[in-house]
Amino acid sequence: MDKLIYIDHQKCVGCATCEMVCSLVHEGICSPSLSRIRVVRYPTQAFNVPITCAFCEFPPCVSVCPSGAISKNAQNGEVAINSILCIGCRQCVQACPFGHANFNFDQGTAFKCDLCGGNPQCVEYCWTEALQYLPLERALGEKREAVARNMLGST
Amino acid sequence: MKDYSGKIMEIDLSHGSIRIKDIEAQLVRQYIGGIGFNARILYDEIPIGADPFGEENVLVFAAGTLVGTPFPTASRSEASAKSPLTGGFGTSNSGAFFGLQLKTAGYDVLVIKGKSPQPVYISINDEDVKILSADSLWGKECWECVDYLEKKHYGSEIALIGPAGENLVRFASIENGRYDGWGRTGLGAVMGSKNLKAITVKGTKGRKAHDPQALLNAVKKGQQLIKSASSYHAFTEYGTLNASIPYSNFKAISAHNFTKGTLPNWKEIGGRPIVDRYGSRHVACQSCIIACGHWVELSEGKYAGIKMKDLEITPVMSFGATVGLNTEAIIKACELCQRYGVDMVSAGGVLGFAIELYKQGIISEDDVGFELDFGDDEAAFKLFHMIINREGIGDILAEGSKRAAEQFEQGDKYAIQVKGMEIPMIDPRGRWSTWTLGMLTNIRGGDHLRCRNPVENLRFNERDEEYRKERFGFKQTMYEKLDMPEELKRKTIDLENDITYIPEMSKWAEDLINLYNSVGICIRPPVMEKVGPTIIAEACQAFTGIEFTPAELMESAERTWNLIKLFNLREGEKAEASKFPRRFYEEELNGQVLDEGKIQKVLEIYYQLRGWDPKTGRPERATLKRLQLEQPGE
Repeated sequence: MDKLIYIDHQKCVGCATCEMVCSLVHEGICSPSLSRIRVVRYPTQAFNVPITCAFCEFPPCVSVCPSGAISKNAQNGEVAINSILCIGCRQCVQACPFGHANFNFDQGTAFKCDLCGGNPQCVEYCWTEALQYLPLERALGEKREAVARNMLGST
Repeated sequence: MKDYSGKIMEIDLSHGSIRIKDIEAQLVRQYIGGIGFNARILYDEIPIGADPFGEENVLVFAAGTLVGTPFPTASRSEASAKSPLTGGFGTSNSGAFFGLQLKTAGYDVLVIKGKSPQPVYISINDEDVKILSADSLWGKECWECVDYLEKKHYGSEIALIGPAGENLVRFASIENGRYDGWGRTGLGAVMGSKNLKAITVKGTKGRKAHDPQALLNAVKKGQQLIKSASSYHAFTEYGTLNASIPYSNFKAISAHNFTKGTLPNWKEIGGRPIVDRYGSRHVACQSCIIACGHWVELSEGKYAGIKMKDLEITPVMSFGATVGLNTEAIIKACELCQRYGVDMVSAGGVLGFAIELYKQGIISEDDVGFELDFGDDEAAFKLFHMIINREGIGDILAEGSKRAAEQFEQGDKYAIQVKGMEIPMIDPRGRWSTWTLGMLTNIRGGDHLRCRNPVENLRFNERDEEYRKERFGFKQTMYEKLDMPEELKRKTIDLENDITYIPEMSKWAEDLINLYNSVGICIRPPVMEKVGPTIIAEACQAFTGIEFTPAELMESAERTWNLIKLFNLREGEKAEASKFPRRFYEEELNGQVLDEGKIQKVLEIYYQLRGWDPKTGRPERATLKRLQLEQPGE
């Protein structure tokens, strides 16, 4: 998987548009609790950190799933939950190091980011560019260039 | 008709009872949501002549129809009750995340009745609703209470009052978390009179969209519209402070209690440069794509250590212009207002009033306990605390400038208010526009936020002799893209002669803002310029499944405006109350006074456009019939 949702929390203003778009796309419901992406807000510091799936190379959620409901796609790197196979044991929810994998109590199954099939809608509706869906090399290239520009400016 | 999934939660604090009611789809069709629901509930539930501090007053919070969706700026909720400041319909609108939590918990409306025998707060967690003791919170300032309640009720948003609300200061606010609030008309004192310190709300359920894809399409369109507004980039950078310098250039700011029109170095004190100097990050409300809020941290100077969301034009004008404070003291004043829970406009207005009484020799050091002067922050803050705690002369000032003025000779001359509410920011002698006529026609009294020209120009300021028109001042494309029925647009704007007709635009703007306050979107200029009833209808229909045409939405907003007017008339509002303080007619500013007779004529035109009696301002029977607001027995 060469692309990732690249998060620049410095740009995030905490509007939660991503949360509402995500739950609307996946569940037809506007509810941050059902969103795959979540924004952690520190209102007393005006600091916001969006958190979504890291698409780990060695995903603990896959390792702990006893029913084989979660699998990593070797081609595109996506880690997806097959809700038909999910037994609702919440092991993946507990194992996820980011608090990302979550549980839908109404449906009795776990849920997580599926990259909207390659066109993540949280990124599509994010107006600040705090969220970008980029090849890793491009994301890192931009970061390196910003550092370099700073050096250029300081000489 | 499709069912509407939102509920009304009704809490009676006298009996400790909690009731959850369905919302009829018919109510949604007629009143949409937000302020529309509040108007209907207050009109039906509050007896005529009720004491605003009595058990009979009803306090209502309603999140707008689109709140909790990703529709841009749809974060706003409206709080309403009979106002202790004006005696009429008290109402105020706020953003941030309270409305979202109320909506996701399953409620559109929270109705609070009665009066608790001891201090309490309400905790809402989806269906789990509790009335809890607030003994340990009573008397404490807001930020301390938010810290405590956030820990105790994880993930909740909090509406609360500070000591001002507890002490029934008539212009106390309800704070919305730490940095936002339902500021105007004294609703915090209503909450205080009910012994209600706070409401915490957390929702996990959310609201099912009727047609998710259509809603997403409307969201995308709404985002594109707002981003294409001419003022968009200026607002993402400087927020509301964009207007500060133009108004000062017109010599139309509220400087030193409306005596000066401008101040030396105003650009450095209250203009866009203060954002560059003091502001850092931008802060957004739910679903907002403007993020006009600025994060401020003062690291040096007298008020070092303050960290908060700040630098909005209203407090900057209120404390910088009206009271004459410098920028750092303005920031301190904002902090005090948020922590002690008072409306920034009225607080600045009352302080400016008191300082002028002192300067005029009407009150003295013996009355106050110390000297007062414009620009003296320490004296202003000492007096501020006396008002909050109702100590000494503060007890009189806590009644608001209109009531306080009755205690002093010639006091009414210096109380800059309309219908009991202190007016903000702009001196109508310095600039006459849709905005300033709105201070007279506003259903909540002297205020600027319910009547704002969606295509207001800040480059030109030519006074029309008849007070009837202002300059349109934009290119044809702006005219063409304005979402307004064509025939009405032609009557309101004369493009060829570059004219906007003020009374016509006032009616449209008031109804449009009432629609915004019904669906829960923001009145920032980039929104007002681009978001009209067409896209709102599309979004509301996609979300609720209830069919709305743009014309029906505007009619519903008009219905609500009329119902609120009826509420005020029922409470005894007289036509002559729609008048500025006499200073504006008697004392020159930049060589100008207002002509009362000519303004009256413009008001009469406005009343006729509304279908109201031109003399009394009372809705005609035919108007009430058209809006299905006929009174039983009439």
